[in-house]
Amino acid sequence: MDIFSGIVSGFGIALTPMNLAFAFLGALIGTAVGVLPGLGPAATIALLLPITYSIPSPVPAVIMMAGIYYGAMYGGSTTSILLNLPGEAASVVTCIDGYKMAQKGRAGPALGIAAIGSFIAGSVAVVGLTLFAPPIAEFALSFGPPEKFSLALLGLLMAVTLSGDSVTKGLIVMVVGLLFGTVGIDPISGKSRFDFGVIELQSGFDFVTLAVGVFGLGEIFYNLEQSGKAEIVTTKVGQVFPRMADWVASRMAILRGTLIGFFIGIIPGGGAVISSLLSYAIEKKASKHPEEFGQGAIEGVAGPEAANNAASSASFIPLLTLGIPGNAAIAMIFACLLIKGVKPGPFLIVEHPDVFWGVIASMYVGNFMLIILNLPLVGIWVQLLRVPYGILAPVVILFTAIGSYSIANQAFDLYALIAFGVLGYALRKLKIEAGPLPLAFILGPMIEGSLRQSLLMSGGSFSIFVSRPISLTIVALFVLFVTAQTFVAIRRSRRCSAAPKAA
Amino acid sequence: MKRIVIFSFIFAFAAALAVYGPAAAQDKYPSKPVNGYVPASAGGSTDLMSRAIEKVWPKHSPQPLVIVNKPGGAGVVCTEFVVRSKPDGYTLYFGYGSGHDIVMPNLQKMPYDPYKDLVPVARISVHSVVVVTGAKSEFNTLKDMIAWAKKENKPITSSVSMRAGAQDIAVTGIAKAAGVNIVTVPFAGGADAVTALAGGHVMLGAGHPSEVVPHIKAGRFKALAVALPQRDPSLPDIPTLKELGINVSTWGSVKGIGAPAGTPREVVDYLEGTFKKICEDPEFKKIMADLDQPIMYQNGAEFGKFLQEASADYGRLIKELNITIQ
Repeated sequence: MDIFSGIVSGFGIALTPMNLAFAFLGALIGTAVGVLPGLGPAATIALLLPITYSIPSPVPAVIMMAGIYYGAMYGGSTTSILLNLPGEAASVVTCIDGYKMAQKGRAGPALGIAAIGSFIAGSVAVVGLTLFAPPIAEFALSFGPPEKFSLALLGLLMAVTLSGDSVTKGLIVMVVGLLFGTVGIDPISGKSRFDFGVIELQSGFDFVTLAVGVFGLGEIFYNLEQSGKAEIVTTKVGQVFPRMADWVASRMAILRGTLIGFFIGIIPGGGAVISSLLSYAIEKKASKHPEEFGQGAIEGVAGPEAANNAASSASFIPLLTLGIPGNAAIAMIFACLLIKGVKPGPFLIVEHPDVFWGVIASMYVGNFMLIILNLPLVGIWVQLLRVPYGILAPVVILFTAIGSYSIANQAFDLYALIAFGVLGYALRKLKIEAGPLPLAFILGPMIEGSLRQSLLMSGGSFSIFVSRPISLTIVALFVLFVTAQTFVAIRRSRRCSAAPKAA
Repeated sequence: MKRIVIFSFIFAFAAALAVYGPAAAQDKYPSKPVNGYVPASAGGSTDLMSRAIEKVWPKHSPQPLVIVNKPGGAGVVCTEFVVRSKPDGYTLYFGYGSGHDIVMPNLQKMPYDPYKDLVPVARISVHSVVVVTGAKSEFNTLKDMIAWAKKENKPITSSVSMRAGAQDIAVTGIAKAAGVNIVTVPFAGGADAVTALAGGHVMLGAGHPSEVVPHIKAGRFKALAVALPQRDPSLPDIPTLKELGINVSTWGSVKGIGAPAGTPREVVDYLEGTFKKICEDPEFKKIMADLDQPIMYQNGAEFGKFLQEASADYGRLIKELNITIQ
């Protein structure tokens, strides 16, 4: 079956009333899950898995789960922007400028551009998925430990660019994040590190707990202190939809974000996070007003949001064509298919063309449903900010706690959540942008693991990072970026020191 | 608003009744849903087996089975939780015999006794370790690869799912028995290890059938050997290492069911019978075949004996191969 007749038959399957209903249900649940702080798509799919046992055909079940997954990506930006609560790793970047926009009364445009950016990116990525799935999957496989190391290192460099005005402060929180990332079982030697005899620490800290604690709870603790004052940020709503100028500013950001998300996001394990970081860094570089980044630049929301949604569609490629699940949520969809007797992988398209094309076609449909569902909701979400803070904050904390507990079903994560909240509060008091912390936390173990794996592969020789073409290219980019940055910094400091003399 | 409040009260009351009512009446076991705790994330091979059981369970028991994932601390958190639970048969341990039950106690001290603190209920499956290489590899047999390593005096690189896990021990055992140097590269779990081999980043790989068989069928991997004492019933065509003249075998990863010590005998008997019926259920057989997991049922007594033997075998291997987790 060629691609054209395949996708036509896929639409035939996806557009049946039952499958449409399941796609809508998935999109709806996904949006809700994305909006509820701390509750992630993987936990939700795990909860719903037993329900799918009673659905006779695998197609509607998978359509629904896929809908939950990309719907959650869509909805995840909402809490990032409104409440500074990143639901998953790829949304951390959205918090930086998205929440600043909300504080300035521009929550509406931020949510609007995130929804539109997500729609464009999601749709383009599905077209890419339809046309180029097999070659793209081979490309993803070519990322071995050396390539992942170089890429994660580049990602870490980008994470520092989130630090706002002070690079020193950015480096400090980055190191803190890296240190938190070392807690748990050493990936190479198997020895447990920094666990202080606490068994729960052996598996390390959970990302969502850390990110939601540092960002969301830290913000709430900080705001509690301000409660004596009449007005907390939440009362300003401002206009709901983006202005013409916002569209113009975001146009290229969405396009670039989509491409980065599609190609980098496909790399299993961490691809989505790095793609959102790369997008942010590139937008900051390309911008005529880089000083606005970190203060509420709309491109800083549009680009990374496009990237992480393109990445979420692209992450279906390794699953559908190779049978390799790239992240926890996709692994759940993998499990659902297996229990239903469908094996994702190279034979899927031959053995179960209905599943393969049906799911892809449903993703076109699902993206439309999401934009129709989400754009009107923007107005409602913005009203959320009118809820008195005394009510909003406890509700947010409650949901955050539920979400955090649901990840591993253990109470330990609740204590960790509170501790990270206190850390976030301290950073806020010290006026340190927390952005690099969770990102370093997630990139650190990637860097460590892939570095040591690479060196095991090469017998200890560092040449492995420059003798492989993809890794060499990334290393070259890294060096280029650092030298350019150093050059700019030297010129700036010369100009600064020259100026007083002239005066 | 008032109506909602009233409704939620009724709901809460009904829920409370549902939970405590039957228990208070001391009905015959099981009188409420049974929880099965899995020491791994959703989507892994232990979870998939548990989900397969969850799916057919209602046909054989009046109360549903609920699978809960507790992946922390490489599985230890889950096992400890079950060990400390009330021994009433409503908290079961799914995946009894995993690496942290039969391998890890030989390497480090555990916060509980994995044999005395749990009652073996039934063995469901044994996940063997299959040794594979990439389809593009120049080697078609393990013998060729070993001969190459000896002639060139070069190390063989192999991806394994974790340090000192079943795969690592099997591959290190091959190196020792064949007298070659195999560098095992640990990854974050089976899926990652398999992906690295699929990308051609290492020469050799090892994984459980559910991880590697789909790739063997797809022509991406070549199967070299199975590291069990006998052939894997789900992979009758793949020779064992011993058949190839490499004197190593392991028990892979064992997947059984356990209950907290002190669970009443009649409850354990009931569960044992239920798992036996499930293992004979054609629907369960079909799902397990699709998952590339052989059904290897043993009753509680046999399983308990088997666990001790498997662990002792691992202890011996670990000592011989000088495997540590420093």
